[in-house]
Amino acid sequence: MAKKIKPTSDQLSRRDFIMRGGAVVGGLAMAPSILSNTGAFAARARGENVGGKLSVLNWPLYIDEKAEAQFKKATGINLKYSEALNDNNEFFAKYQEPLSKGSNVGFDIAMPTSWMANRLLKLGYLQKLPLTDAPNVANLSPGFQSPAWDPSGEYTLPWQTGMTGLAYNIKVTGRELTSANDLFDPKFKGKVGMLSEMRDTVGLTLLGDGVDPATVTYKQARPSMRKLQKAADNGQIRRFTGNDYQDDLVSGDFAVCVGWSGDVAQLVLENEDLRFVIPDEGGMRFADVMVWVKGSKAKAQVAAWLDYFYTIDNAAQLEAFIQYISPVANIQPALAALDPVAAKSELIFPPESVEARLKTFKILNAKEEEQFDNAFAKITGS
Amino acid sequence: MAGTARQGTKRGRFAPYGLLSPGVIWLILFFMVPVMVLFRTSLSDRPNRFVPNALNFSWNFSNYTDALSQYGEQFQRSFVYAAAATIACFAIGYPLAYVIAFRGGRYRNLLLGLVVIPFFTTFLIRTLAWKTILADEGFVVQTLRDLGILAANGRLLATPLAVIGGLTYNFLPFMILPIYVSLEKIDRNLVDAAKDLYATPARAFWRVVFPLSLPGVFAGTLLTFIPACGDFINAAFLGSPQTTMIGNVVQNQFLVQLDYPTAAALSFTLMIIITVAVLIYAKVLGTEDIA
Amino acid sequence: MTATVAPPVSPTIDPAPIERTFPPPWMRKVGTISLNVYAGLGLLYLFIPIFVIVIFSFNQPKGRFNIVWQEFTLANWKDPFAIPELVDAFKLSLEIAAISTGVALVFGGLIALALTRYRFRGNAFVNLFLVLPLTTPEIVLGASLASLFIAQGTDRGFLTILIAHVMFCVSFVALTVKARLRGFDWSLEDAAMDLGAGPMRTFTKVTFPLMIPGLLAAAMLSFALSLDDFIITLFNAGTEVTFPLYIFGVRQRAIPPQINVLATTVLVVSVALLIIGTVAGRMRERSRTSPH
Repeated sequence: MAKKIKPTSDQLSRRDFIMRGGAVVGGLAMAPSILSNTGAFAARARGENVGGKLSVLNWPLYIDEKAEAQFKKATGINLKYSEALNDNNEFFAKYQEPLSKGSNVGFDIAMPTSWMANRLLKLGYLQKLPLTDAPNVANLSPGFQSPAWDPSGEYTLPWQTGMTGLAYNIKVTGRELTSANDLFDPKFKGKVGMLSEMRDTVGLTLLGDGVDPATVTYKQARPSMRKLQKAADNGQIRRFTGNDYQDDLVSGDFAVCVGWSGDVAQLVLENEDLRFVIPDEGGMRFADVMVWVKGSKAKAQVAAWLDYFYTIDNAAQLEAFIQYISPVANIQPALAALDPVAAKSELIFPPESVEARLKTFKILNAKEEEQFDNAFAKITGS
Repeated sequence: MAGTARQGTKRGRFAPYGLLSPGVIWLILFFMVPVMVLFRTSLSDRPNRFVPNALNFSWNFSNYTDALSQYGEQFQRSFVYAAAATIACFAIGYPLAYVIAFRGGRYRNLLLGLVVIPFFTTFLIRTLAWKTILADEGFVVQTLRDLGILAANGRLLATPLAVIGGLTYNFLPFMILPIYVSLEKIDRNLVDAAKDLYATPARAFWRVVFPLSLPGVFAGTLLTFIPACGDFINAAFLGSPQTTMIGNVVQNQFLVQLDYPTAAALSFTLMIIITVAVLIYAKVLGTEDIA
Repeated sequence: MTATVAPPVSPTIDPAPIERTFPPPWMRKVGTISLNVYAGLGLLYLFIPIFVIVIFSFNQPKGRFNIVWQEFTLANWKDPFAIPELVDAFKLSLEIAAISTGVALVFGGLIALALTRYRFRGNAFVNLFLVLPLTTPEIVLGASLASLFIAQGTDRGFLTILIAHVMFCVSFVALTVKARLRGFDWSLEDAAMDLGAGPMRTFTKVTFPLMIPGLLAAAMLSFALSLDDFIITLFNAGTEVTFPLYIFGVRQRAIPPQINVLATTVLVVSVALLIIGTVAGRMRERSRTSPH
């Protein structure tokens, strides 16, 4: 059975509380640690002033505002935090040139999605992360120790992970949705949104057609690509969006769309008819990962950053804000202290039954990627 | 330029070139040269899109034929939408410019300011605001549905109409201002004489005022049509996959697919078509320049 | 922005008999009123999204998207600088607009002076050349400039944004100033020289003051164009985030009401400047026309 979030008054008041009174979240940093290793870090971080400069490039709203100040205070690092990462491909187009020369790109750490990190890794644009200088990295969930995009686990470290599934507005659909093929239901014609992130949209369509995105070849994907092309041509699909699908979902312009877990939890505040579901056929798993780019010399600062956000308390605080899935293990108790509802959410801690249905898109080789990208560009009309 | 020697102008040997050089050199370096690089890129191969600078110049004209055959539809759409928006801008803008110029009296500058002021809010914010206004569950669409103008499941967003509407709105001042300038220059005595001479105000307008405002109309249509052709924001925010314009393709090919040759071929084709269209249009209207 | 036609179209005089009874005065009046109403509606249309932007600056969104009306609040106005990235982006945009306007004013002003002050070989060519960037779609300007920077291996950033903005502002400035200087009687300069003023003094006392209205109009225009430019900047910004680029990015995850607050502030400031300008202009007029 697919799981759904239903907003309860409890949830609303809780989120309301956090949104308006961010102080609670901030105050927690000073609360006594429940877990021993976090206490150890706190002492270490306070005692050891790292100093220096660190520039981080991340997606918008991917950190709680308190964390920036707390990190600066804890480490003495002069942090320059930019939210200019909006799209993986755009990111690559912007920085490919300087990265290839190993010249200064204006940031030390960035958080592209795993497949993009893999491309950067293959092109030799990354440095090995200073993992040994960041003891708290030991808190990484076992599932991410040697991921497909970074088999040795030395070049990337997840910042946040999450699930791709269906987000829908029950008032417009008139029924609960459980299948990836509901995106192609003619009843929703002109009210369907898809993501411009190729792997999410194509991945979910493949799952609906019974093809495993983790092993797919371009040939196997062709029928699904044709299905998408048809849906785009006949007006079934209203728009291809980035994260702004949320805007269309709230305003009721989308009945159903491909969406990311965690976002909908925020959106029910605006519109309580919204739901998120991992379809019966399966959903996609994504990870936005931290990479240290070639040319950066801020090794100690990068280590401090990794270490800081892999402490249980700090990871829990981050989780309370982002609400996707934390790559840090055992944060549930710490999160419960901050946000009891989030700590029980199946979107943040998916049960085995859901976890089993999640797939990660295959790492494509250059030729396959170009085939997929070209076909997908055609589907999106550009 | 009519090329007539005006009062007191000097024949300069070195001075004019000295005055021109900083600006003109800037334009040569950062306008002419880039366009030439663009042309060169459009005739190049890119064997591996992940390797920077991997462009081989090879007189590869197939970039053009491929781009046109694959994106002919978007080209067509760009010109149709831009033309529709230009006509709409004219229909809204001319009367407004006329009323301000001839009936604005001492409030002329104030009224003109009011035309310009909305455009001090960012282009993107204005377009997002239209998205809110035209939303399916919004007031406007609901009212149109209640009135039976739109079908019960009809919509405005994600239709060609919304894209054309967005283009019209965003480029309207570029139509109004030049028309206003040319209307304002018209000698009032001439208008009065025309009123005496012709039977109706309508005839006086069509025989005297309108012909004299044509330079403004010319400049206004160009300043509306050209940016509208290359725009991609309106199509991206207010449109659907069936309303993408050539700007969306160039943006995607250049910034997302990293297919520089295709993007360059498309850009260059757009530039050529527009230049030809402008020249024909100038010929028809009998104007020699818009400056 | 301004326009001239080479030979003005001379109205042909039609020897039709003069018929003064049609249309009757009431019809003329209806015509006049309906034209005014139509124009008024046009002006209203320009302000529709502006009303929405201003109203939503007083909204208290419950989530991250300020697109559904929830409840009235002044909180956004009390804390307009709540989002540091937004403030940084806005500052960067102002900085770029100021610098590129300054440079473009000098370059464009000099071009306008050369074109109106002197007769020289290549005059017509320069005139045509100035128009070309305006008849090239922004996406082509942005893509071609980026192609150049990519081919040269230049890292895109603050400097490349400035280069791009100066490029598209120069033409606008040159053409605007030129339009204002056209028809100016240059023998005034000679008169000043004859009266013993040196070239520098002639420029500062005679030529420059005459250029000021044109330069002001051009400055406003290029400042606004630079502040609002999105397409060209997108191609050439590198890691820098200008105000429009910030909105383009953040809108995917949130539309914070502070965006509306800043947009409204810009609007209010420009309205205030407009009103001050109008009032000052009228006062000057009155003092000039009043008997001594």
